[in-house]
Amino acid sequence: VAQTAPAAPPGRAGTDGDRRRIRGRWRLLLGRPGRAAASGVAVLFALMAIAGPCLYPPNLPIDPNNIYAAPSLTHPLGTDFEGTDVLALVVTGSRYVLASAAVAAAVTAVTGLAVGLAAGYAGGPPDAFLMRLTDVVLTIPGFPLLLVLSTIWDFGSPAEMGLVLGLTGWGGLARAVRSQTLSLRERGFVEAARGLGVPGRRIVAVEILPNVAPYIAMNLMLSVTGAIYAEVGLFFLGVVPFRANNWGVMLNIAVFSANAVTSPQAVTYLLAPLVCILLLTLALTTLSGAADEWFNPRLRDL
Amino acid sequence: MDMCGPDNRRLPLVRLAGVRLLTGFAMIWLVASGTFFLVRLMPGDPVADQYHTDLVNGMTPAQARAATALLYGFVPRQPLPRQYVHYLWQLGHLNLGQSVSYEGVPVAHIIAAAAPWTIILVLSGVLVSFAVGASAGVLAAVRRSRPSGVLLTISGGLLYGIPQFMIAILLAYLFTTLWAVLPFGAPYDVTLAPGWNGPFAWSVITHAILPIAAYALSGYGGWLLTMKSSVISVLGDDFILAAELRGMRPLTVARYVARNAMLPLLTVLALSIGFMFSGSIFIEAVFDYPGLGYSLLNSVGKRDYPLMTGTFLVITVAVILANVLADVAYQFVDPRLRRS
Repeated sequence: VAQTAPAAPPGRAGTDGDRRRIRGRWRLLLGRPGRAAASGVAVLFALMAIAGPCLYPPNLPIDPNNIYAAPSLTHPLGTDFEGTDVLALVVTGSRYVLASAAVAAAVTAVTGLAVGLAAGYAGGPPDAFLMRLTDVVLTIPGFPLLLVLSTIWDFGSPAEMGLVLGLTGWGGLARAVRSQTLSLRERGFVEAARGLGVPGRRIVAVEILPNVAPYIAMNLMLSVTGAIYAEVGLFFLGVVPFRANNWGVMLNIAVFSANAVTSPQAVTYLLAPLVCILLLTLALTTLSGAADEWFNPRLRDL
Repeated sequence: MDMCGPDNRRLPLVRLAGVRLLTGFAMIWLVASGTFFLVRLMPGDPVADQYHTDLVNGMTPAQARAATALLYGFVPRQPLPRQYVHYLWQLGHLNLGQSVSYEGVPVAHIIAAAAPWTIILVLSGVLVSFAVGASAGVLAAVRRSRPSGVLLTISGGLLYGIPQFMIAILLAYLFTTLWAVLPFGAPYDVTLAPGWNGPFAWSVITHAILPIAAYALSGYGGWLLTMKSSVISVLGDDFILAAELRGMRPLTVARYVARNAMLPLLTVLALSIGFMFSGSIFIEAVFDYPGLGYSLLNSVGKRDYPLMTGTFLVITVAVILANVLADVAYQFVDPRLRRS
């Protein structure tokens, strides 16, 4: 296996090379039809989350004459049990889901990296302790734990929801980072740095961290899709107070209050949030492949 | 649980099983302690609340203490360590306290009544998904360069990630409303009297089809993908080539492949049991099944803390034990993990 140069001096003078590298990276995201579609979906959802709630009034209008209307020009996705536009519900509901997923991703990445790097580099008793901790986090069933936690902690806001999902979901990433760190620790360039007297903290940050990055993308993406399912699931079951509309709230009302499951005409109302969740997670999973190649040029087949 | 650490591999099997069992029990103790302190941390302290409510209702302090101890399995107004020891002692005797919302019914009884619904459905779901997923995985591996194999792999990849509430809602909508061939809600037709008769049994079976299908579909992808990669790696092994070159019958070779490719599936079994117990919360909520997940969700909604901690503990213990068992079984069937 070829060794990645950990601290290769970037060619600042060669602007031509820079441009080619940037073009190569754009091609990673847009070069294949699947990835181009995934990038498009991700950008669309991001715009929806940022601008969507501003496009509609805070309280969406209801229309008693238009209950469960079929899709039309005025209501592209039809209407719900009160005659509210389903597209409006989907768009306004996206902000919460994406915001808490982003927080969950950040918390998972920081915790998983810290634990994995510390355990892998330190070895010995700290490693044993951190891995036992990781075992506990991985073994205790996460969703029942979230249900129990919801009774003592009201994590309705996206930041708190992301925090709690991140804190219960870092196990897989930590273990992957640890096993990479273990093998990197024995490599020549790390040994050389140690021999030169570089302090451990700096070795981890400068020599090991950049080489671990390629392995993070896939694990992080798995944690984030898991976090999205869990947060939507919590709202779907109705154990977290509803502050604002989101896709989980939509599903909860549709299934448990509006009896959409037994209404044949509620197809779009029931399917819209489900399809959005699927599209978002599918796009993220597809893009994690691109992220792998972005960090790890050896995987590129261009 | 992990299999890292080279020194683990030289332990004899019995000692290894003992160590795994001990770590399993340590984890159970950790979770039990966690739930104990969780209830003490609850906003408004439900234990003290119960005690004061009883006092206001005219009980003497001694009576109120006894009533609260009966509900929660520990005695208020005692130093925390004493309460903790008392709680663990009661747990050791499978006394989980009494439910608040079902007045005075022991939590253990409620759980014993709910568990069969969950266990039967989860086990059927695991069996069906294993049978279908693992055989599809073998097919996908053998035909990996043909369209049928590629299609199977795609089906596994698509179903692998889909959350259980989505599968449950979609199945319910498809087969009870859009194409109404199966009944929806409740574990059996409530107009029938429960008993050992044909119509009732039929009703139980038809009501169980969709939940079992939901469990099975949510596990299918994991089995398929693991089995496929495992079979492919075994197919490339030298001993398979040697067996083929010696002119062994294809059926014998297939048996060699199957025996070796089954090993990683044990890990999937442990993972999927944990996954299914978590999923039972969604599947039982959608299909109205009075199982463990339903009971946990119900107790959370009603803030019935003794029932909630009891159900959570039972689910967690089941998952931890499944992990320990799979771990020990793995060492047992694969001698390579013992002898390094």
